[in-house]
Amino acid sequence: MKDAIYSIIAVVLCLSLGKLATALLGGFPASLYGMIMFTLLLHLQLLNANRIKKSIEWALQNMGVCFVPAGVGIINHFELIKNHGLTIVFIVFITTFLLMTLVGIWYQIIINKGQNNG
Amino acid sequence: MDNHSFMDVIIAVVFTLVTIAIYHVFAWLQKRLQLVWLNPMLLSIIVLISILLMFTISFEQYFAATKPLSQLLEPAVVALGFPLYQHLKTMKYQWPSILALLTLSSIIVIAISTLLTLTLLALPEIAVSLSLKSVTTPIGIALTEELGGNSAITAFSIILAGLFGAILGPSWLGLIGVNSAKAQGLAIGAASHALGTATISKISYEHAAYGSLSLILSAMITALISPILIPALLSLMI
Repeated sequence: MKDAIYSIIAVVLCLSLGKLATALLGGFPASLYGMIMFTLLLHLQLLNANRIKKSIEWALQNMGVCFVPAGVGIINHFELIKNHGLTIVFIVFITTFLLMTLVGIWYQIIINKGQNNG
Repeated sequence: MDNHSFMDVIIAVVFTLVTIAIYHVFAWLQKRLQLVWLNPMLLSIIVLISILLMFTISFEQYFAATKPLSQLLEPAVVALGFPLYQHLKTMKYQWPSILALLTLSSIIVIAISTLLTLTLLALPEIAVSLSLKSVTTPIGIALTEELGGNSAITAFSIILAGLFGAILGPSWLGLIGVNSAKAQGLAIGAASHALGTATISKISYEHAAYGSLSLILSAMITALISPILIPALLSLMI
């Protein structure tokens, strides 16, 4: 329980620093700055990774539910989807798989090369 | 507290609990049946849309009521920094190649997406929106507004790109011989942002780490290159 509170405080702290960074520097959303801050504070051992591990693993398992309300927002774009829906889905499908394939195969080749050399 | 705001609180609690309950039923089902297409996010969205249509509840009303869930999105993205930290050491020596391959792949696919959309639809605003679908929602929307796209279409295609990678990504990558957890994480993080990364984070910690790394770098790369690349392509085609 104490560790869970520690984790929440750590995340909220990083998010606040992220909001500050967005306000001062702009460019990226607060959550991305916050994520970088979280990684950095853990890396510099300013946060205790052992205390955070368990609650973050739980959060990662369940965070999908947070995306549901935004996803339901499709309901407001029925008109647009009726007109160009299939074409849009087709283009998104093709280019998403293209990007995934390109990055995946490329990095797999780099990994295989590294294993052969080592 | 007056009657009206008291009702609002009740409605908020009910909608939020219903959303969590539906999601958990599907998450439990998927765990038991081990079926990839049984994506709890997708199925919850479909069921909730049906419920809203059936009871003629507007999306605005539903979204306002479930605000606590949406507000957890930001801390959820921050939490992805943990798996990233855990794999920082192993990734250290591959930084240059990871950055190079993500930059080149993003440029190629943004260009193809823009040109394909202009060819098929001849609508520049939709071309802008669809080329920004692989990054996390806040960045995608910000760039859409900057480049004159359509925010609604961007939001919709971001969810689609996320779902495609989340549901079909691991099996497709396995099929084409991309079997390493690192390569799968990097690929799905680049193409399907936080939604894809959140889903594959359940497979392994390496998936989560490389997915998070990839979604941050891809978002940064896209934010840097698209304000130059997309207008250039649009002026070339029109």
